[in-house]
Amino acid sequence: MSWCVRARSIGWLAAIAGVVAGLGLSTAPAKAQNYPTRSITMIVPFAAGGPTDVIARIVTAHMAQTLGQSIIIENVVGAGGTTATARAARAANDGYTLITGHMGTHAAAVPLYPKLAYHPERDFEPVALLAGTPILILARKDFAPKDTKEFVDYIKANSEKVNGAHAGVGSVSHVSCELLNSILDVKPVGVPFNGTGPAMNALVAGQVDYMCDQIVNAVPQINAGTIKAYAIATPERNPALPNVPTTTEAGLPKFQAQAWNAIFAPKGTPAPILAKLNAAAAKALDDEGVRKRLLELGSVIPAQADRTPEALATLVKSEIAKWSAVLKPAS
Amino acid sequence: MAETTGQLSGGTASLPGARSVTGAAIILVLAFTPQIIELLIALAGLVAPLSSRGPLQVVAAHASALAAAIPTLAQQYAAGGKTSLSPDVLMALIYTYPLIAVGVFTFLVRPRAPQDYFGGVVLMAIALFALWASSDLQGMRGFSFGAGTAPRIFGLLLLGLGAAVAVIGAVSPGAQLATYHWRGPLFVSLAILTFAVSIRPLGLLITGLASFLIAAIGSPETRWREALIVGICLTGGCALLFPYVLGLPMPLWPRFILQ
Amino acid sequence: MDLFANLAHGFAVALSPINLLMCLIGALVGTLVGVLPGIGTIATVAMLLPITFGLQPVGALIMLAGIYYGAQYGGSTTSILVNIPGEATSVVTALDGFQMAKQGRAGPALAIAAIGSFFAGCVATVLIAILGAPLTKLALAFGPAEYFSLMVLGLIFAVVLAKGSVLKAIAMIVLGLLLSMVGSDIETGVSRMAFNIPELADGLGFATVAMGVFGFAEIIRNLDAGAEMDRDLVQKKITGLMPTRKDLSDSTPAILRGTVLGSILGILPGGGAVIASFAAYTLEKKLAKDPSRFGRGAIEGVAAPESANNAAAQTSFIPLLTLGIPPNAVMALMVGAMTIHGIVPGPQVMQKQPDLVWGMIASMWIGNLMLIIINLPMVGIWVRLLRVPYRLMFPSIVIFCAIGIYSVNNAPVDVILAGAFGLVGYWLIKHDFEPAPLLLGMVLGPLMEENLRRALLISRGDWSVFLTRPLSAVLLAIAAGLLVLAVLPTLRRKRDEVFVESEG
Repeated sequence: MSWCVRARSIGWLAAIAGVVAGLGLSTAPAKAQNYPTRSITMIVPFAAGGPTDVIARIVTAHMAQTLGQSIIIENVVGAGGTTATARAARAANDGYTLITGHMGTHAAAVPLYPKLAYHPERDFEPVALLAGTPILILARKDFAPKDTKEFVDYIKANSEKVNGAHAGVGSVSHVSCELLNSILDVKPVGVPFNGTGPAMNALVAGQVDYMCDQIVNAVPQINAGTIKAYAIATPERNPALPNVPTTTEAGLPKFQAQAWNAIFAPKGTPAPILAKLNAAAAKALDDEGVRKRLLELGSVIPAQADRTPEALATLVKSEIAKWSAVLKPAS
Repeated sequence: MAETTGQLSGGTASLPGARSVTGAAIILVLAFTPQIIELLIALAGLVAPLSSRGPLQVVAAHASALAAAIPTLAQQYAAGGKTSLSPDVLMALIYTYPLIAVGVFTFLVRPRAPQDYFGGVVLMAIALFALWASSDLQGMRGFSFGAGTAPRIFGLLLLGLGAAVAVIGAVSPGAQLATYHWRGPLFVSLAILTFAVSIRPLGLLITGLASFLIAAIGSPETRWREALIVGICLTGGCALLFPYVLGLPMPLWPRFILQ
Repeated sequence: MDLFANLAHGFAVALSPINLLMCLIGALVGTLVGVLPGIGTIATVAMLLPITFGLQPVGALIMLAGIYYGAQYGGSTTSILVNIPGEATSVVTALDGFQMAKQGRAGPALAIAAIGSFFAGCVATVLIAILGAPLTKLALAFGPAEYFSLMVLGLIFAVVLAKGSVLKAIAMIVLGLLLSMVGSDIETGVSRMAFNIPELADGLGFATVAMGVFGFAEIIRNLDAGAEMDRDLVQKKITGLMPTRKDLSDSTPAILRGTVLGSILGILPGGGAVIASFAAYTLEKKLAKDPSRFGRGAIEGVAAPESANNAAAQTSFIPLLTLGIPPNAVMALMVGAMTIHGIVPGPQVMQKQPDLVWGMIASMWIGNLMLIIINLPMVGIWVRLLRVPYRLMFPSIVIFCAIGIYSVNNAPVDVILAGAFGLVGYWLIKHDFEPAPLLLGMVLGPLMEENLRRALLISRGDWSVFLTRPLSAVLLAIAAGLLVLAVLPTLRRKRDEVFVESEG
């Protein structure tokens, strides 16, 4: 639809806001060598208490000590995190506004939303990869297949009958399930739920058959036997679930997926500031307390080589390519 | 937001003493409200750099759409109905023409319960607008609902209900139109708008006081010295309460002072 | 007895000085935030979540739970005093509560809301302790088909609670449903009727619309020339602060029924608590000897929904504590709080974290006691607030509302939308449309559509699931029965009215 009001209503509001904002935006940005001289805002594009928020809070609490300034977390919710990410892309590139993006906002959103108001590569400077959260293949406890191999055969044979659950379009559970479906070359019905909680509830209640989800929410349910896990989509087994085989062990090596979280800054943020931030993040990831809490969540802490901004840029590029191949745009 | 403004025009349709002639005229204005709003936005676009249609394009597009809507529809029907109509043509067909018909109808009838009659008509306008706004969405896909299915069902339902309210208002006796006033709505809205526009750049202290005083103009009872004192105290209280006690990330001071 | 040992353990935890303090802080902050118009419970818990990170897990959760049910208490205050429901659950409280305030009976309305909430809170706490585990089955028995039928039933409640024309009430529900369609589609993610405005991408917020059509519209209407008389009258005739004996005897059965309904519906994840307050109101109106009193200041119309929503607020902890699955957004934040403290809740959380679970249950009872002790003396202060001249009161309400709405998402557009809905609400008042059914339609619309679509996806397009699944069929049957009951008297009245000239 190209009727103008759609595009221009925002423009109209932005125009007024812009005139007013213009009055206040004439002073030069703070000098990089003194950075930071005031508190930093970290935008988290998801609700407080969610996996991304928890990781961001654990790491930034330590980074704030290193940098000597407080980091204020601002949770901005909406449209699978893209609202907040678009806002971060437009923020001043002085290092005082950062964002903790994830696999969705900085990769899968590109194919999902053709009218995305930002581009992860063009509008952001990569700062540091924080953690990866492994993804599991889960099923209701009385689902017939006993292991991954049976599961694959069953789905291929009964793709008309099987119901998969996911936590809404663009969620980690949705995009990773789409990846699995494309690897298996099946198109089972995907039943959308409003968030991970309701989707998990439906799986526990046996209303749907299977789901792909992040390890954090699944561990207690698996341990209690209310659902079962077939495999974990990482190269190595996870200490939180030592009995769950990897997808490679289970004969599904192509299915590799992690919900990664990383810090980004608006494009054009000075290099010395980016370096300071990256060093602070790396120091946080080496801290025993931070590591312990991240591992408790089932997260995978990136190796030294994966922590540089360059490595993050490569990751973003490869993830965009990976998801673009799997996901159809939502019209 | 065009929808909301449409309702406002509907509001003025019921000014005190409005006879059905005035009412009908205002329904006709309502029929063109989305186009007028788009034009206004396009005019605003001349000041701020925006990448969309200019005012002249808007006028031309809608004029040709309104003039050629029915021929286009007939042509498309003859062609087998595969080509899709432009949003402007759809707007004319789905929203403007039916409302023009309702406006003409209003000239002919004398509603016995104008409060209900005009209320029902505006609900119909909202329903038509929603039907147009959801006309680009996919309908049923096999056994599953498309994105547009539910909005269309509710749009049609509201259209029917609005029509029922209007028809009952036209034939059975009921309440006259209530009196509208402009002072309260205008200044309260202005105060809210001021708050929204200036909270980010100017911070809570300036914005809060300014909005308080603008809202206060809305009542003729306001005593200025008293309002100023209460406004300052209230803004100060909010400045302590929200950012400090409740820990909300909210700017207190104007942005240019902070930098 | 296991239960008593557990409860004793819980009280030992909850009564430790630090946890008592946390409970008190939570209750106070919750009341404060509930009273401030605009900021709802979800926003509050989200805002205050970071503050609890430095605390012990048990204390943190006791405090957050306190904020949650404290806000339920506080939320009724603005509904009654200034007609601004901060939460979907207190929309119905505003209907009769605000009318009572207009009649100078704000004191009894506030007091009965507090008493009803306290009673419901106590009962629901005991229920969690005794029946938590078995009741969990109910949450699991509700699939998409059952939810759809429940939502249909909820919409019928909205028709019943209308005090004017049934046709206009249904039109308002459908308008609410239509407004709720704005935003992204759950199944495909396509943006619907959002006009490329990013703030509309997730739909219109409940607080935004409620603040507009109730709060701002009420203010604008009060500023109309000629409305001053009405207001001054309200300020002059404030009578007693506490409910009379008659008030109490009228409300007692309403509180009991509200508590039962709220406790049951609260367990259902998503929408249960909203429907609870509407259901309680509808039940009272249907049972009353003179239903026409409702909407004109009936004390049962405050007592029943307030008891129901507080009971539901408590029992909504059940799925979290027994399954480890958050049933609503606030509970999801509680899970977040636990996660940050390294406790990921699951089905075994009751066995693995007895301190946490039983401490929290015990603290709920203590918190409710604190709340009634805090709230009853406050009634006098709140009622005195009504004596503030309106010329000073209304700009203050505007500012509080604006800050409240802005703070929810830090989005200025939300504030503008609320203002626009204020004008819509003014228009609704002028044409005698009721905003309450509109709001209910808005809250239930997405739940209804989503569950309908889920049910049809799972059944592969077979509509008969709604009738073949027993729970769903029962709910639909109740809905059909209620609709007939609601429409019949109006049809009869219409016939009589034809002979009477309109009285406005």
